[in-house]
Amino acid sequence: MKLKLSTCFVLLVGSLVVGAPLFAHHGTGVAYETGKGTEVTLKGTVTEWIWANPHCGLLFDVTDAKGIVQHWGAELGNPHKESLGGFSKDILKPGDKITVTGHPSKSGAPRMTLSRVVLADGHALPDKAVKGNGEEDPSE
Amino acid sequence: MRNRVMSPILVPVALLACSCVTFAQTYGTKGYSPGAWKPDELPKGVSDPKPFNAHDLSGVWSLPTTQGYFERHSLNDKAVKIPPGTPEQFGESAFPPPMTAWGKAKFDSYKPNYGPRSVPPGQGNDPIGDCDPMGYPQDLFRAHLLPWEFLVLPDQVLQHMQFRDAWRIIWTDGRDLPKNPDPAWYGYSVGHWEGDTFVVKSNGYDDRTWLDLYGDPHSDQMVLEERFRRVDIDHLEHSMTLTDPKTYTQPWVGDKITWVRKKVAIFEQICAPSEESHFNDRIRDAAIGKSKP
Repeated sequence: MKLKLSTCFVLLVGSLVVGAPLFAHHGTGVAYETGKGTEVTLKGTVTEWIWANPHCGLLFDVTDAKGIVQHWGAELGNPHKESLGGFSKDILKPGDKITVTGHPSKSGAPRMTLSRVVLADGHALPDKAVKGNGEEDPSE
Repeated sequence: MRNRVMSPILVPVALLACSCVTFAQTYGTKGYSPGAWKPDELPKGVSDPKPFNAHDLSGVWSLPTTQGYFERHSLNDKAVKIPPGTPEQFGESAFPPPMTAWGKAKFDSYKPNYGPRSVPPGQGNDPIGDCDPMGYPQDLFRAHLLPWEFLVLPDQVLQHMQFRDAWRIIWTDGRDLPKNPDPAWYGYSVGHWEGDTFVVKSNGYDDRTWLDLYGDPHSDQMVLEERFRRVDIDHLEHSMTLTDPKTYTQPWVGDKITWVRKKVAIFEQICAPSEESHFNDRIRDAAIGKSKP
């Protein structure tokens, strides 16, 4: 009989993460506007949806009235935190039409921290508010 | 013949296996996450809690949730409660002891993304921005939202931190700390019981890690002493004293932490260099004009 280390302890994989305020991540507030009234809203087309630890990211093109395309990007939190708000790895794909709201970069570069994204079908994400640093545990 | 050779081995092995399972049970921890198991896919009764045992530290631990309290960042934190909407990186700082000349030089060379000296991530040099290990105790301080767990084995206690999927081995087989160890990201640790208090001593830390998000440094001479005491099923008291004469002129005594047992399991949260690099290039560095949007 061979004793494997895996039989000696239980590793439970899978958990529900609590929502982390976006500004708590990587000193984000240093690079982006954080004050009230600084949010911008843009309509665009998804070019890439990054679903990865430690951050998710959304890249999208915005075409202005003159037909000039700007390549925008939005920063999100980690996948499990975003899952709490209805995001998933398949929720967005290149070509999707979206409306994005967020706090823009202080440098003027086309980057933001994402506050909200509305999909073509009108579904808004995140679709659930996390209270402060509220901790949810549907298993309880 | 085969059975006669096997029997003397089977009995102690079986006993060891049984003791491993006994120590390894967790206190009412369930496991699922979005993208993994659904709550109704878990076996019933899998997470029924055990009776309280002060010498069983097993469980998933986190910091209590308080409105506006985002994260503990260091051994001491100035702001415990942060009003919602406050840019926390401007409101907090650690309170280390006075630094030596060596320590101050290190401190000045670090460009953190948090605290009064913060710079945009793309301009900083925090090694965790490239997925380098966070080290200890910094990884621990993330545990408000990203918990950690103790797993108890007969000769060691494993401390597993969800953030960055970091493991720390605390040997409980009676050995002393190594005399002149090669530096390790998470150091070397030994533990023993003094009554109902689990005392852990650690050394051999790689000095490339930062103590916290503010860029407080440490040297490879750092020694940590921690004291854990499980006061009931749901609460674990923890105190920490850091001694590092190469960096600080006196010991740094951390605030006592009372961890709260979480009822969900650790899940995988690995910093993959390829993914971090891609994010940095496409989002973080582009935000400050360091890379092309």
